[in-house]
Amino acid sequence: MKRNIFWIMLVIGVLVVAGCTATAPTQAPPAAPTEAPAAAPTEAPAPEPTEPPAAEPVTIQVFYPVAVDAPIADILKGYIDAFQADNPNIMVEPVFSGGYGDVKTAIQTTIDGGGQPPALAVMLATDLYDQINADNIVPLDDYIAGMDDGQAYLDDFFPAFLANSRYDGKLWSLPFQRSAVVMYYNADLFKEKGLDPPDSWQALAEAGQAMVEKEGDQVSRWGIEWPSGWPYWLFQPLAIGAGQNIIGDSDVEVYFDDPKVIEAVQFYIDLSHVYGAMPEGVQAVWGQAPSDLASGQTAMIVHSTGSLTGLLDQADFEVGVMAVPGKEKGTYATVPGGGNLYIFKGAPQEQQDAAWKFVEFLTQPEYAADFSINTGYIASRQSAYDTDAMKAYTAKVPQALATRDVLQYAGAEFSVQNLGEVRNIFHDYLQKAYNGEMTPEEAMAAAQADAEAALADFK
Amino acid sequence: MSAQPRLQRRRRRPEILPYLLLLPTGLFVALFTAWPTLLSLYQSFFRQRLNIAKFRDPTFIGLDNYAKLLADPRFWQVMRNTTIYVLVTAPISIVLGFLFALLVNRAIKGIGPARLAFFHPTILPMVSAATIWMFFFTPDYGLFNTFLVTLGYSGPQNWVGNPHLALPAVMIVAIWKNAGYYMIFYLAGLQNLPTDVYEAAVLDGANWWQMLWRITFPLLRRTTLFVSTIAFIGAFQMVDHIFVLTGGGPSRASTVLLFYLWQERFENQNIGKAATLTVILIVFLLIFTVTNFILSERKEEDAHA
Repeated sequence: MKRNIFWIMLVIGVLVVAGCTATAPTQAPPAAPTEAPAAAPTEAPAPEPTEPPAAEPVTIQVFYPVAVDAPIADILKGYIDAFQADNPNIMVEPVFSGGYGDVKTAIQTTIDGGGQPPALAVMLATDLYDQINADNIVPLDDYIAGMDDGQAYLDDFFPAFLANSRYDGKLWSLPFQRSAVVMYYNADLFKEKGLDPPDSWQALAEAGQAMVEKEGDQVSRWGIEWPSGWPYWLFQPLAIGAGQNIIGDSDVEVYFDDPKVIEAVQFYIDLSHVYGAMPEGVQAVWGQAPSDLASGQTAMIVHSTGSLTGLLDQADFEVGVMAVPGKEKGTYATVPGGGNLYIFKGAPQEQQDAAWKFVEFLTQPEYAADFSINTGYIASRQSAYDTDAMKAYTAKVPQALATRDVLQYAGAEFSVQNLGEVRNIFHDYLQKAYNGEMTPEEAMAAAQADAEAALADFK
Repeated sequence: MSAQPRLQRRRRRPEILPYLLLLPTGLFVALFTAWPTLLSLYQSFFRQRLNIAKFRDPTFIGLDNYAKLLADPRFWQVMRNTTIYVLVTAPISIVLGFLFALLVNRAIKGIGPARLAFFHPTILPMVSAATIWMFFFTPDYGLFNTFLVTLGYSGPQNWVGNPHLALPAVMIVAIWKNAGYYMIFYLAGLQNLPTDVYEAAVLDGANWWQMLWRITFPLLRRTTLFVSTIAFIGAFQMVDHIFVLTGGGPSRASTVLLFYLWQERFENQNIGKAATLTVILIVFLLIFTVTNFILSERKEEDAHA
């Protein structure tokens, strides 16, 4: 009898485990900035006068991820308090949901289960097509048309940050916590070697080579570290710098096997194999790269603007910030990254309207500036840099202006239909090329073929 | 029959209490286990992709999802990875757990810290453990590599980025994390063993090895059965560290079944394919449990015979 009970329990255990597989495990935010401690505790700017409160009290939920080393929860809490003081009839309930992947999963699971999604969420800018196709989100055009000067409002956002917001003639999201790829370098080392910051691939490779130091066989300082554990984001500046982004203007075009893209893959490999400036193969060093630069393990890194604050805290040398050099002399490249604000269709109309009010509030220049100063993200609006708080900050930290200035070289971040699958295909083959399992030509040809098959249903 | 009227009467009365006690469990199992399982089976016969407008509503396609999966080399790579991962991590963790338990079961001074040392990885959340290991695995100056180099290792150090090392790397972390957990079960088992059989064995002149192999091990069979069941199921189930360490890469070299399922369901929004993978996962788990059941039942009968 005892034995049977034991077995019944075991079988139940198995079934429970099997049943649980439908739930998602936690996901680490792979390509999100990891280090950006706040410079100072948040102090919400003075509240702006807003419209008279709505008649009925409304409660909205805001799902947000934390992808950087900054007290995002406290910062948001401060903004919400200021917002609610102006809008006593709107209650904003912030819901911390993990990383970007977790926010997306949580919302999708809620919708699939027939539940009501939050009115507002911060999700990756590149989630656009998936969210539209799933019929999860609403366009924001009507709200913007209802503003006093909607066009001026839109024009004030950095164009690079709006590159992943439009589809089908509509605007679906607004920039919130945005970043970009930059190259950080040890400016003291460059001075010591009498080198200028690189302005071309050739100069980058040679500078990298010159910076390498060895103790016997062991490299004690690399020229450059270029993380590639989740590789598309940091690879894109190379492709753009070669003259061809990996995506086109439409939502179903990819250019993986373009000769210029192949050249970019080859250059990444050459940095290790020809110049010995960089560790070989896939570099799964996203988390360590900034501290490697700070501790002198490498002279340059390619990373997110989000790592600036942490780097400045750690490094005892002058940290240089620049866009990634392009192939030709004097050309540079970057791509934006990070999260946008989305309003959800499944929320009742009054909640959507309340969510929009909160979006308007959050995107005011003063708040965009404050958020940038406290998190290390690039402020989403150009006028944020004209605020007194930001001027005072950039006078102290001129590198913060450099992170903004790279945006002029930005191409669009990798976003196509069926993004998850196409991105995995690209990652698989790019890493095969990096690891020498395939030549860049073979790998990119295979990636193109597989990606086109994965996009066939959308053409 | 007439000789035991009282017993008969008592038996005829329906026994409600046990069923009442089972009811909450039964309800939960039905709601959160049986129902999702059946739903997955049902969904696996449909094409449904949330990120493609025209395939958002499910269409019946029979066994197409299965046929496509079986024809996909990526699926077979994932199955190969999963098989290696499960068949290596589970037995090694169990054997290590058993050895740790034998070690710390002795009445030696200062055994407390040793127990703690073996057990502490279990207390850490998997994501934290994986983050720590990420630093251990760092090329050039990571602790793990430094340790290996002092032992004379001269191979590649790029554990999580090298296509041949990524799967071993996630397996090492899983073993490190689990061995201490299984140790606890063996330790409990060891401490409940009767002492008289050992006294008898000593009188009979049995040596240490004979006692271990002929007495301790057979007496712990129940524990081994339990530990091996949770170890194998756990090996299928545990993927948190893969997200942190390798993201399933490079080029899917460390993607296992559950990670793949997550990607299909939540990255690719492919409900039909994810349901199909769920069914395959359940079939795997059931095959293992039933086999384990049959094998051990037979042993049990042998033992009684």
